[in-house]
Amino acid sequence: MALLEVRNLKTTFKTEDGIVAAVNGLSFAVEPGSTLGIVGESGSGKSVTSLSIMRLLASNGRIESGEILFKGENLLLKSEAEMRKIRGRDIAMIFQDPMTSLNPVLTVGEQIAEATRLHLGLSNRDATAKAVDMLRLVKIPAAEKRLKDYPHQFSGGMRQRVMIAMALSCDPAVLIADEPTTALDVTIQAQIIELMNEMQARLGSAIVLITHDLGVVAETCENVLVMYGGNMVEFGTARQIFDAPKMPYTMGLLESLPRLDQAGSRLVPIEGQPPNLLRMPPGCAFEPRCRYRMPICKEPVALYDFGAGHLARCFLYDQRAEGQKTIPAENATLIPGTAVAPPQETRR
Amino acid sequence: MSKAPDLVVVRDLKKYFPITAGILQRHVADVKAVDGIDFEIRAGETLGLVGESGSGKTTAGRVILRLADATAGSVTFEGRELIGLNRGELRPLRKEMQIIFQDPYASLNPRMTVGSIIREPLEIHNIAHGAAADERVQELLRLVGLQPQHANRYPHEFSGGQRQRVGVARALAVGPKFIVADEPVSALDVSIQAQVINLLQDLQQQFGLTYLFIAHDLSVVRHISNRVAVMYVGKIVEIADRDRLYDNPLHPYTQALLSAIPIPDPDIERRRKRIILTGDIPSPVNPPSGCRFHTRCPVAFARCSVEVPAFNEYEPGHRAACHWVEEHGGKAPDLTAGSAVVA
Repeated sequence: MALLEVRNLKTTFKTEDGIVAAVNGLSFAVEPGSTLGIVGESGSGKSVTSLSIMRLLASNGRIESGEILFKGENLLLKSEAEMRKIRGRDIAMIFQDPMTSLNPVLTVGEQIAEATRLHLGLSNRDATAKAVDMLRLVKIPAAEKRLKDYPHQFSGGMRQRVMIAMALSCDPAVLIADEPTTALDVTIQAQIIELMNEMQARLGSAIVLITHDLGVVAETCENVLVMYGGNMVEFGTARQIFDAPKMPYTMGLLESLPRLDQAGSRLVPIEGQPPNLLRMPPGCAFEPRCRYRMPICKEPVALYDFGAGHLARCFLYDQRAEGQKTIPAENATLIPGTAVAPPQETRR
Repeated sequence: MSKAPDLVVVRDLKKYFPITAGILQRHVADVKAVDGIDFEIRAGETLGLVGESGSGKTTAGRVILRLADATAGSVTFEGRELIGLNRGELRPLRKEMQIIFQDPYASLNPRMTVGSIIREPLEIHNIAHGAAADERVQELLRLVGLQPQHANRYPHEFSGGQRQRVGVARALAVGPKFIVADEPVSALDVSIQAQVINLLQDLQQQFGLTYLFIAHDLSVVRHISNRVAVMYVGKIVEIADRDRLYDNPLHPYTQALLSAIPIPDPDIERRRKRIILTGDIPSPVNPPSGCRFHTRCPVAFARCSVEVPAFNEYEPGHRAACHWVEEHGGKAPDLTAGSAVVA
C-alpha cells in the first residue's frame, strides 16, 4: 500500500470570471521514503495539489471529488481537529517563501518547540532541547544562541533551514516542499538541496518536491510527475522522463531549456501560451500548442502505459490514431477510465 | 571574428547608497552596491553580467544608463563620457540606450494601452507623430511577435511573455544601439523563456544591437552571451569569453557558482561533483576586507583577508581577481577534490 495516494482529485476555485478547475482528475501515489518531483509551470495546478493534500485551500477553493489516502485513510473525511493533528506530525510542508511562513513575533526556538510540544507532547524543556537538536541537524551555526533569534534576524537560506528544522521536528512520514529553493540564490539553493537529500537519507521521510526547475528535479527526485493544465500528463522515473519523454509537452520543456553544459544552438520554444483554465481546449490541454497534434487530439485523452511505471497522456501512442500520427510512435496500453474531459465553461 | 570596437567602456565605476541615522540624518555608512568595476562592451556583442542577489549587477546596469547617478568613475558611450552630463545633455543619448526590465507586470503602466506605451517614446524623442507614429507602433508590435490590433489593449490583458514582448517593443521604439536587459526572462515560465530569448537574439541580428544581459541564471547567460562577467558583492571577480569562462573558470567563486547550477539530466547530475559553499553572501554595507570572497572561499589564505586582489589578465581577454590564481601562475584551484589541491 502506498503511503500517500491521491485518487481522481478535483479542486475548483470560485473566481470573478467563473469556476476554475485548478486540478482536474489527478491520481498519483507516493511510496515510503521516496522522492517524487511534481513539475509544471504557473497555473498547472501543482501548488493546488499540495494545498489540497494538506486541506489548506483558500476560502474560495473546494475539493469537488476524489480521495486523498494517507496510510489508507481518506483525509477528505477527517474533521478539522483531526487534520490539525496530522498536519505537521504526519505530513509536514515547507513553502517557497520562508519569511511569510514563519511567525515574525515569535523566536524560531518557540516556533520549533511549539510543534513538538503539541504533536509529541514534549515538556517545555524537552521541546527546547529538541529545537536545539533540530537547528544543529540543519547546520545552523551556534544553534543554542540562534534559538532566541527572530525570523528577520536570519538570511533567506538560514530561514529555509529553520523551516526544514521545524517541518522535520516531528519526524513526518511525508514532507511536501513547495518550491523550497525558488526564492534563494544558486549557491544557497545548492546548500538547501544538499541538506534535504541528507535529511531524507537520515530520517527516511518521503518527499514531494514541487518545482518548476527541471534541474532541481534531476538532482533530487527518483520519480517525476509532469503537470499541465490541471492534470498529470506524464509520470515516470527521472531517467525515463529525461532520457525518453513521451508527452510532447515534456519533450518541449526539455528542449526549450538553455543548459549549462550545452552552449550556442538555438532554443526550441514551445509556441503559444499556457491554457486559460476558464476556457480549456475540449481534448488534450496541450493540443493547441503541440507540434504533433492530430485531429483525434480534440477528444478527451487517457493515460497510456509504457511499462516499468512510465505513463503519458497523449494520443500519439493510441492505435486509433494510426494513419493520423505526425511522427512514428509505438502503441502503448490505454489505461481505462483515465480520460478526463475538461470542465464545461461554468459562468456564474 | 575580428575584434569589434568598444561601444561602452566602464572604468572604476562606483555607486554608494548613503545610510543616514538620527534626526539630523547623519551619514553613518554606505551600501557599496558597486565598488569599482571595469569592463568594455563591444559593438554588436552580448555581455552577460551574472551574480547573486546583492552583488550589484542591477545597480551597475542602472548607473551605466545614468538611471542612477554614479558616486565615482567613468562610463563612455561611443567615446563620449556620460558621467557628469546633465539631463538636457543626456536626452539625445537616451535614444541610443534603452532598458528592458525584469518584471513585465510592474514595468508597464496599467492605465495606458499597449499602443500608447510604445508610442510615448516616439513622441518624446520627436521621432514620429500622428499617423506615422501609429504605423511605427504597428510595425514594432509585429516585430516582437504581437498582432497590430493588440495596440488597443491594456497590459493586464496579456500574459507574462506577451508583456515582456511589449517591454521589448517599447525599448526598440527609439532605435537604440545599446540595450540593458535586466533579468528579462526571470519572471517567465520555462516554455515562454525560450520564446523571449530567441526574440532578443533575432532582434540583435536584425538591428546589430549590443546587449548588457543581466541575470542570475547562468544557463541562460551561457546561451545568449559572447562574453560573461561575474560580480560578487560590488566587484567583478572574473570576466572572459563565454566558453572560456564556463570551461575554464579561474576564480573559486565562479567555479562554485557554476557547480551550483543543477543540470536537467539525472545521469550527469549523479556523476557531478559539487562545490557547496558555506555561509551567506556578505552585506555590501560592510564587505569583508581584502578579497570579498575570502569568508566563503575554500582556498583562502592569509593574504586574502588583507589585500585586495588585482584584476589580472591570465589569457587573452580572461581576467580574474584572485590571489590563489595569481600565486599559481594563472592556474585554477581544484575545488572538487574535497579540499583544494595546492600545486
